[in-house]
Amino acid sequence: MTFFFTVFLNNPVHKELVSCVGWTTADELYSCSEDHQILRWNLLTNETTLAVKLQVDIYPIDLHWFPKTVGGKKQAQAEVFVLTGTDGKFHLVSKTGRIEKSVEAHRGAVLAGRWNYDGTALITAGEDGQIKIWSKSGMLRSTLVQQGSSVYSVAWAPDSDKILYTLGKQLVIKPLQPSAKVLQWKAHDGVILKVDWNSVNDLILSGGEDCKYKVWDSYGHLLYCSASHDYPITSVAWAPDGELFAVGSFNTLRLCDKTGWSYALEKPNTGSIFNIAWSVDGTQVAGACGNGHVIFAHVIEQRWSWKNFEIILTKRRTMQVRNVQNDAVDVLEFRDRVIKASLSFGHLVVTTSLQCYVYSAKNWNTPLIFDLKEGTVSLILQAERHFLLVDGAGIYLFSYEGRLISAPKFPGMRTDILNAQTVSLSNDTIAIRDKADEKVIFLIDALSGKPLGDGKPLVHKMEVMEVALDQCGIPNERKIALIDKNRDLYLTCVRRFGREPPINKIGTMVHSMAWNDTANILCGIQDNHFTVWCYPNTEFVDKDLLPKTMCMKDASEFSRNPQVLNYVGNQVAIRRADGSLVYSCVSPYPAILHEYVTASRWDDALRLCRFAKDQTLWACLAAMAIASKELTTAEIAYAAIGEIDKVQYINSIKELPSKESSLAYMMLFSGNVQEAEGILLQAGLIYQAIQVHINLYNWDRALELAVKYKTHVDTVLAYRQKYLEDFAKKETNKRFLQYSEGVEVDWEKIQAKIDMEIAKEREKAASSSAVRSSMSSHR
Amino acid sequence: AARPPIMAKDSLAEAGLHFDELNKLRVLEPEVAQKTTELKEECRDFVEKIGQFQKIVGGLIELVDELAKEAETEKMKAIGARNLLKSVAKQREAQQQQLQALIAEKKMQLERYRIEYEALSKVEAEQNEFIDQFILQK
Repeated sequence: MTFFFTVFLNNPVHKELVSCVGWTTADELYSCSEDHQILRWNLLTNETTLAVKLQVDIYPIDLHWFPKTVGGKKQAQAEVFVLTGTDGKFHLVSKTGRIEKSVEAHRGAVLAGRWNYDGTALITAGEDGQIKIWSKSGMLRSTLVQQGSSVYSVAWAPDSDKILYTLGKQLVIKPLQPSAKVLQWKAHDGVILKVDWNSVNDLILSGGEDCKYKVWDSYGHLLYCSASHDYPITSVAWAPDGELFAVGSFNTLRLCDKTGWSYALEKPNTGSIFNIAWSVDGTQVAGACGNGHVIFAHVIEQRWSWKNFEIILTKRRTMQVRNVQNDAVDVLEFRDRVIKASLSFGHLVVTTSLQCYVYSAKNWNTPLIFDLKEGTVSLILQAERHFLLVDGAGIYLFSYEGRLISAPKFPGMRTDILNAQTVSLSNDTIAIRDKADEKVIFLIDALSGKPLGDGKPLVHKMEVMEVALDQCGIPNERKIALIDKNRDLYLTCVRRFGREPPINKIGTMVHSMAWNDTANILCGIQDNHFTVWCYPNTEFVDKDLLPKTMCMKDASEFSRNPQVLNYVGNQVAIRRADGSLVYSCVSPYPAILHEYVTASRWDDALRLCRFAKDQTLWACLAAMAIASKELTTAEIAYAAIGEIDKVQYINSIKELPSKESSLAYMMLFSGNVQEAEGILLQAGLIYQAIQVHINLYNWDRALELAVKYKTHVDTVLAYRQKYLEDFAKKETNKRFLQYSEGVEVDWEKIQAKIDMEIAKEREKAASSSAVRSSMSSHR
Repeated sequence: AARPPIMAKDSLAEAGLHFDELNKLRVLEPEVAQKTTELKEECRDFVEKIGQFQKIVGGLIELVDELAKEAETEKMKAIGARNLLKSVAKQREAQQQQLQALIAEKKMQLERYRIEYEALSKVEAEQNEFIDQFILQK
């Protein structure tokens, strides 16, 4: 990506240094200078007009516009901005340039003034080392901080409940609640001049006189530290979507990725850039220059690639599509500036300030175009059948034909902070991590936009950092993978039937993950290994087999902290921490195996495994066969990976008298005792249910069942007695002591009873299958 | 009028009155008067000469002043040029620094592309190997 510049050198530029800039819309900017003027720049007409002529004693330092939209609702209040000055006052100035109110705030200069995200409070920081909170109308609420040195910069936390400020070389995060813990750390070797905190990715940016800029997470962990520059870093600013940030220094403007590495560097002749502001749509940057200029830059040359297509945003309104297979080039022209784009699943979705364009990879000539209600789309997510647009007001699901499918809503909805890590889309489900409580994941039916099932969200025991839904298979087997704060990877079912589905841990130290687009294969960076979970569902089928279904590869070539970008076909694209893209190939066999199994082509699946001679593949097949209750295949597959005990168990299942009990024993195989019991009881197979618990040494439950159904109490007691004798133990369980009184254990009688039960079951099964077969023959 | 008698002459001289050749009555002795006149003439000459001298010297001073001024401006020019030279050196240095920074940036980008290329080459090799194996096994 690069910057494209337009420096305004024509008439009225400021005569003194420009101290601050602020956007009102995507095309209008206000700039303040020490020549006591506030200029209004209209980028559409290229006109610059004088907005305010300030009194000669006001030297502006900082400017911040009142937030425009709050939680999707447009603000009713007239557009105002706060202007802080060297005279110790801040001024509320309306868009027309009228100073509505001037408030004496600090001794010495007011160095920063920031509105919080919902516009209910204003914070000012002064040369006198104080930080004060003011109401919307400029009434003093409290003095939050008093310290010995000047506060050069402040920023609000994403949910406006904390502030970040500078204390010399240190950064401090202070919650507004007086009792809450303050986080303070040494961040730079020189005085820190500017900080910014992004609401979407929750990352902190700082720059200082040690000529470095750094990226931190909200716990104060260093994520990136730049090399030393030639001059102090005078400004830093996050793009609204949190994917990019800009850094300003003397004659320097830099565009960086959120992980810190730099996309582009420009050396315009500007003097120091004291302030940087991103336009609301995140496509333009304005900088306040020390030599009186205001510099404008556009971000272009973004790239998207999918399979054999590579797309570059060559100009603000032009994209170039290259098909690398035949070098065919198509040029896409747009009426307005391109704001967001996404290329996946054979479709390109592009949003401009007014419209949405949907292209099919098969035809670049005739896009489908529809108008957007709210201008700036902040996130586009794609699935095979539809795509999701997120803007300031809501979430909208569209089909690739441009039809609005649904507009999901969830409690406490704030769409401006959603990003690709916290939202996931599949063909039938949308998963959204809650912001207020990060342990909660809202699951929404994509087609109706209503919450799934009983409407209760998924609650994890830890804060969830990343969610991802698998893309294939039937809706009822939809799985969600989530990474929590401890970097553990969990897998669970999205749709629940009756009881709460288990949330099982399948990996630790997982930094990044992605599902394959054509099969339910998961890949991720686990510690220093690149891991592919070829059949994650194994976790719910045969837990012990999971490690055997995983492929591990050393990830040292990806260096520290790589990010998985996507997993398309057999290729995984990974972004290293230094910004370089690397690719890793995954064997094509698991995907083919998935395809065969989905189509129930078990013979082909077996042939594939025999051909590939791969243990992982066999393990996957074994788990898939068990999941589909395909015992013959499972037996062969387990034999191939040498799990003889399981082969034997499967054989024993085959010999079971009835369908229900074999089903129950399959459940037992996967460790679902409760479900197995349920199946047996429902089928009236009380004895089998009791026997299951006896086999599991689940004595209490066995006795409970026996007593409840008034049968086989003696069987349970007999087995218990045998068990105790074998282990030379004495009976201590009160219930058993109570029931064993007066019950004579007669093994012969018990055996006869058991034989009778099994014979009965077999008879019943035979008759029911006869009925079934006669019914099917009737059809 | 007739010539005054000699006697009268002496008595006149006693009274401080004299006659000159033109027999005009004088208060000064004729010689003194002549000398005075000569002195006066000489004085006038002197004044004239001094005046001329002053004029010449004035011209000279003016000339020298002008020269000095010119020398001063030339000197300033020289200093300016020297400073400019120095600042050009500095400017070049700054430019060089800027270009260095840009080069470093490009180098980093190149390194990224190199890594990407290497990764892709590896993928290609892997794929070829896979194809070969696949054909062999068949």
